[in-house]
Amino acid sequence: MIRFDNLSKRYTGGFEALRNVSFEMDSGEMAFLTGHSGAGKSTLLKLLMLIERPTAGNLLINGKNLNRLAKSRIPFYRRQLGVVFQNHQLLFDRTVFDNVALPLQVSGYSPSEIGRRVRAALDSVGLLDREKQSPIELSGGEQQRVGIARAVVHKPKILLADEPTGNLDPQLSAEIMALFRRFQDVGVTVLVATHDISLINKMNMRIMRLNQGELELDEVAHGLD
Amino acid sequence: MASTKQTARDSQHAKRGARGSTVSRLDKWRGYKYHHRTTLQSSFAKMLREPLQTLLTVLVIAIALTLPTALYISVENIRQLSGGVESSAQITVFVKKGARPVAIEKLGEQLGKLSGVSSVSYISAQTALEEFNAQSGFGSALQYLDENPLPDAFLVQPLLLNDSAKLVAEIRQITLVDDVQLDMEWLSRLDALLDMGRKLVLALAAALGMGVILVVGNTIRLAIQSRRDEIIIVKLVGGTDAYVRRPFLYTGLLFGFFGALIGALMLIGLGFWLEPSVNDLASLYQSQFRLSGLGLSGFAALLVIGGSVGLAGAWISVSQHMRDIKPR
Repeated sequence: MIRFDNLSKRYTGGFEALRNVSFEMDSGEMAFLTGHSGAGKSTLLKLLMLIERPTAGNLLINGKNLNRLAKSRIPFYRRQLGVVFQNHQLLFDRTVFDNVALPLQVSGYSPSEIGRRVRAALDSVGLLDREKQSPIELSGGEQQRVGIARAVVHKPKILLADEPTGNLDPQLSAEIMALFRRFQDVGVTVLVATHDISLINKMNMRIMRLNQGELELDEVAHGLD
Repeated sequence: MASTKQTARDSQHAKRGARGSTVSRLDKWRGYKYHHRTTLQSSFAKMLREPLQTLLTVLVIAIALTLPTALYISVENIRQLSGGVESSAQITVFVKKGARPVAIEKLGEQLGKLSGVSSVSYISAQTALEEFNAQSGFGSALQYLDENPLPDAFLVQPLLLNDSAKLVAEIRQITLVDDVQLDMEWLSRLDALLDMGRKLVLALAAALGMGVILVVGNTIRLAIQSRRDEIIIVKLVGGTDAYVRRPFLYTGLLFGFFGALIGALMLIGLGFWLEPSVNDLASLYQSQFRLSGLGLSGFAALLVIGGSVGLAGAWISVSQHMRDIKPR
């Protein structure tokens, strides 16, 4: 599903954020991306979202080389992704419903279809009764769940999360992680960038650790570290 | 070509749809229509949320559109008025010296029978001399002349000014006619003046049109800045450039449209305000002249022009400022 092939990213300032990173993820697989801040986690996700382009190497999604993707096709590629941001990136000028509906509106779904899918997504994160509220009225954990609902409302094949539990207490973090596993169970490929080692070590999952732009560890954790 | 591409994309979509989401074509169309409607509504709602700012922008646009339009209407009115005056242009026909009175009388009849002639009046050399005496004040000097230097003449009133050139040529052919003069020099001067007026309207319209584009462009620039977060998120969830652009284009269109609407109302008000004085003036000149305003088609044209100029301003601004927002 996702294949990094000797990928490097050097920013214009000369800083090398990623160096010869290679890995593969199968469809329906879930993995964690860890490392210190500045190790290249965000850059890796940005490459997947096509916010940044690699300076060397190939990035293949579903067998297609993203380097060859025309600029005009980028929006359509992004519609296959679901992204959960660290600071949730919700819009406070509209309701929870409208926030979650955004990816569907952008893809041109009809209003009735949007209504059905948004409610299904909100239901899956347990916030169905909050649809008419503004995100600003919700707690941090609830806001993050709205962000997750928005990331999955269009049933993406790949779900990316950048520090999704950043500001949450352990219990809320565990809930969020359980949510991700549920999506993995229905066949979504899930890649979560996090520094929350204690949390992921309990989960017996694949961990990829970045260090100064290099992939220094790629294994299934069994209570290491 | 485009359609084969489209079907290829659709089939690709269908394959993907087996696992992800299927959107039928009809659904897409419904969604598209719905999106356009809601975008227009929300653009309008956002304008109303800052009523003072919106009003100021709309007024600036209205004034910029009203000025050249008012000038244009004035020029058109003057042209209409001069059309009425043109019909009073007369042809003076001078008779050859020494023509016998009978021949002169016959000539008068002949002139009256020409097609396109409304009326003919005779001014004998004697009458002309007396008139000249009375008006010029050279009476005493004329006494020293042996004979009357003035010829007999006819004043011919053409039915239509357009025919007068043809009429002049025709009259010239008559043997007894010495010379023909068409009294319309001042008319061609007025025509030249009106021509200049029209050019001035064009130049003013172009300059103020640029002004409207700049005003709308600046308003849209501010709107883009204040909605930066939204643009970034929309792009990250797969919004196309066209999708991101759309609300701003609608905003520009609405600004232009409402500016034109207010401008048109201002012109109508101006018309009502001027009408009594114009009618007074016209009655003093015993003229049937009536002030003509924008008219329905002019009204519609002004709205279309306002909308397009607003749209153009928004387009220029959006394509310039969207480039600064990452991701692209």
